[in-house]
Amino acid sequence: MSIERQQSTSVKTSLIPIRSAMPWLIACGFLLLLPQFFPSGAGLTIMNQMAITIVFALAYNMLLGQAGMLSFGHAVYMGLGGFFCMHLLNQVEYNQLYLPLPLLPLFGGLFGLIFAFLIGSFSTRRAGTVFAMISLGVGELIAACSIIIVVFFGGEEGVSGDRTMGPQVFGFDFASQLEVYYLTAIWLVLAALGMYLFSRTPIGRIANAVRDNEERAEFLGYSQRNVRWISFCASGFFCGIAGALFAINYEILTEENLNLATSGSILLVTFLGGVGFFVGPVIGAVVFTLLQTVLSLYTEIWQLYLGILFVLTVMFFPFGLTGLIAMHFRPWVLGKAGLLIRPYAKMTVPALVFLFSAVAVMEILFHARHSSIGSEEMNLFGMTINSHSPAPLMIAGGLLLISFFAVRNLAPGLWNAWQDANHQERET
Amino acid sequence: MTGVHQSPAIELRNLHKSFGLAKIIQGVDLAIHQQERHAIIGPNGAGKSTLFNLVTGKYVPTTGGVYLHGQNVSGKKPYQVNRMGLSRSFQITNIFARMTVFENIRCGLLWSMGFRYSFWNLVNRQRKLTDRVDEILQQINLLARRDELAGVLTYAEQRALEIGITIAGGANIIMLDEPTAGMSASETSYMVDLIRKVTEDKTLIIVEHDMGVVFDLADRISVLVYGEIIATDEPQKVRESSAVQEAYLGSAVEEAG
Amino acid sequence: MTGLLLFMLCSGLTLIFSMMGVLNFAHASFYMLGAYFGYQISTYVGFWPGLILAPVIVGVIGAAIERYGLRRVHQYGHVPELIFTFGLALLIEEVVQFFWGKSQMAFEAPAALKFAAFSIAGNAFPAYKVFMIFIAIGVFLVLLYILTKTRIGMIIQAALSHPETVQNLGHNVPLIFMGVFGVGTAMAAIAGVIAGPVLGTFPGMAVLLGSIVFVTIVIGGLGSLWGALLASLLIGWLQTFAAAYNLRMADLLTAIGLTEPVDLAESLLSDLWTLTLPQVGPILPYLLMIIVLALRPQGLFGKRET
Repeated sequence: MSIERQQSTSVKTSLIPIRSAMPWLIACGFLLLLPQFFPSGAGLTIMNQMAITIVFALAYNMLLGQAGMLSFGHAVYMGLGGFFCMHLLNQVEYNQLYLPLPLLPLFGGLFGLIFAFLIGSFSTRRAGTVFAMISLGVGELIAACSIIIVVFFGGEEGVSGDRTMGPQVFGFDFASQLEVYYLTAIWLVLAALGMYLFSRTPIGRIANAVRDNEERAEFLGYSQRNVRWISFCASGFFCGIAGALFAINYEILTEENLNLATSGSILLVTFLGGVGFFVGPVIGAVVFTLLQTVLSLYTEIWQLYLGILFVLTVMFFPFGLTGLIAMHFRPWVLGKAGLLIRPYAKMTVPALVFLFSAVAVMEILFHARHSSIGSEEMNLFGMTINSHSPAPLMIAGGLLLISFFAVRNLAPGLWNAWQDANHQERET
Repeated sequence: MTGVHQSPAIELRNLHKSFGLAKIIQGVDLAIHQQERHAIIGPNGAGKSTLFNLVTGKYVPTTGGVYLHGQNVSGKKPYQVNRMGLSRSFQITNIFARMTVFENIRCGLLWSMGFRYSFWNLVNRQRKLTDRVDEILQQINLLARRDELAGVLTYAEQRALEIGITIAGGANIIMLDEPTAGMSASETSYMVDLIRKVTEDKTLIIVEHDMGVVFDLADRISVLVYGEIIATDEPQKVRESSAVQEAYLGSAVEEAG
Repeated sequence: MTGLLLFMLCSGLTLIFSMMGVLNFAHASFYMLGAYFGYQISTYVGFWPGLILAPVIVGVIGAAIERYGLRRVHQYGHVPELIFTFGLALLIEEVVQFFWGKSQMAFEAPAALKFAAFSIAGNAFPAYKVFMIFIAIGVFLVLLYILTKTRIGMIIQAALSHPETVQNLGHNVPLIFMGVFGVGTAMAAIAGVIAGPVLGTFPGMAVLLGSIVFVTIVIGGLGSLWGALLASLLIGWLQTFAAAYNLRMADLLTAIGLTEPVDLAESLLSDLWTLTLPQVGPILPYLLMIIVLALRPQGLFGKRET
């Protein structure tokens, strides 16, 4: 399942192996061209948001995926980095501090690092559940403090600033969205590359070892606590960068950047993407941002769908979306993808009916319970129906039941086919 | 017998360990010389594993001390003891199952080759490191499985990998906890040869149930019964000692028969 | 008061944790479900049947979630289990909003208990609070009795430390786990039903109490029932105390010999000077947690290595 396997066998002699540099070059080119396809303001805003989420999710996965530490309060490091950067921006504006804007994320990272160092000094002593609970407690503490300490956190209104007041860099003052996009994209690549390389360093490898078997690692000369602490600090650094990028983009930070909801959503993003893969959080961030933007346009209960999706992912696909792709990638490489076509074809119709009828049932129920009095008509998949009459609900419910049993009957077949497609690989 | 004039590699002085009311180790004195191959035998529940855990820093002795090259290490953490040149294997296979064979050995090497917690080196670029890993893989005959995940190896291969990880760091004291447990006769003899090969010029302490392995490998044997060492001597003399036969070997023969 | 309520939640959580090694992140969500079901039932048949029925329903839901969800995730390890219960917490909050909306429910204490039981120093003490205290103590005593005095309690305690042996003795350990999860969530639901009318029945009630519950059991030491009791009472007392005494930081600072700066609004330390005790109340449990963990990483009564 691991991508690292190919890595260890790759060419060691050339300075920069072409094979490992290729994906990065493609990604750079892609980022460069993206604004050509989505030049609108809204498009740029979404892309910036994606980029920030990617950096944050990658940094989060340094802990969850690489070091096996589950944090429920990681918004703190991003948020604090962002708050400090906001204050720096204000210093630039009011006190003539000389700081070019493109360097700001570096300082955000340093602030994140400092806080991770301080908090990690006691929170990383234990792994697993205890670490998770301490991270939750610390997260809640700082979120609560943000309302009390008005001087620094600005209370309910938060802290805002202006990114354009600094010295110009090569004639850019970063007033336009496009300039901010390119700045964000450059930092995205730098941060992602940094995190990727970190996972290739001795400490990065040992973090994996501690994740898998902390006792064994201790008997190889490594203090598990120090390994966790260092991983935590590194993660804090990159979270701080994400925070700075947030500050540059939105020019405001509030309590919302620190609270449990933000910490929780980054866990959701990372896990949906797939914690076992370096690209997992990237895919998670892109899909999540798109879902959030698109779904929220069409339905009020998008968060319910997201919650269901998340719980199902944890239950059935612990390797996330990337794991799902990887699961199909291997049969493809082996030339056994053909085995999957028939079972998938059989599955398509029942699965689609199941999906749509489930959505229909929930939408009708929701409309029936919460629509204002008198408005009984609702729009569902382009049809106008009456949510208060029993017929539509019964039809949707019936379809749901039938398709559920159909899917359940077909699922073992698909599972077996998939195993066949993967299993023969061992003998070849 | 070499090195009697030097300070012993490991010395246990009046070592005690209790868990609550249960006294597991009750006054062990033992000196193991440098480059000696020392076996610890004893019936189940005699405290062999506890003794191992006391020496390697997993447990802290209730009283008494553990001395490594004359230095007191009791109360030190496992990683500190390891950095002083002592490495151990585990009774239950304890490898990094989700990593490749290559990476398992590399993890064992990183600290001793001076990489410590560094984040400014890339492991793939370290020619010396990679070569050393391959050398060790060659030694334990796993070079062919270099890029397999450790979890998919056969049991015997995993045990060999376990020993490979243990010796990788170049520690001069090697402690092996039942390295041949659960192996067939041919696997066992292969393992004995392997152990002999990789621990050449090193101090070896081994806990083992298979008497064939013990008498084959060991320079000296200590017999641990109910937390006390009742005899420490050369294999032949231990075999002849009536006290040992009564306390341990007799029952072991019965079990085997 | 808050302490006993906290303890009712913590005891169910601790029961599940010490039994299965799973910290149920969604525990407070079951508490919320209890409150909502209690409310819904009370609109049809009144408060008292709700007090019995809501915990039963929630317990059954909890057992079903253990059976069909948690047991599947269990094979991946403890961290995915924790993530699963976290997802569950998110989902339950959404489901509650789906059915009941975002606003607060008109869940009220039964009329029979709407009188002042007695009064202390002129402050009337409502009968409902007395009733809550009795329920909390009652639940605790029943739990203690079952765990220490009955056969099923013996099996549970044995399964706690030696699951395989118990399994080999012919007991159905998965069934016991399911039962424990069900009972644990039902206990949370009881707390929900009796707290709903006082603390309010709204979608945020789980989050509001959830973090405090986890902090409490970390302070008490994960898996220790007595630790949970002590820590709940400590935190309950701390919060009540903080809310009741309007101690100003300025008074404290003056008392130790500092003078208040004249240009307070300009000063960077202005927050420190204007701070009052009720303001810091919400963060005290977290501060306590950090202090306890710095001094004693395993918590007050903790022993289990995780």
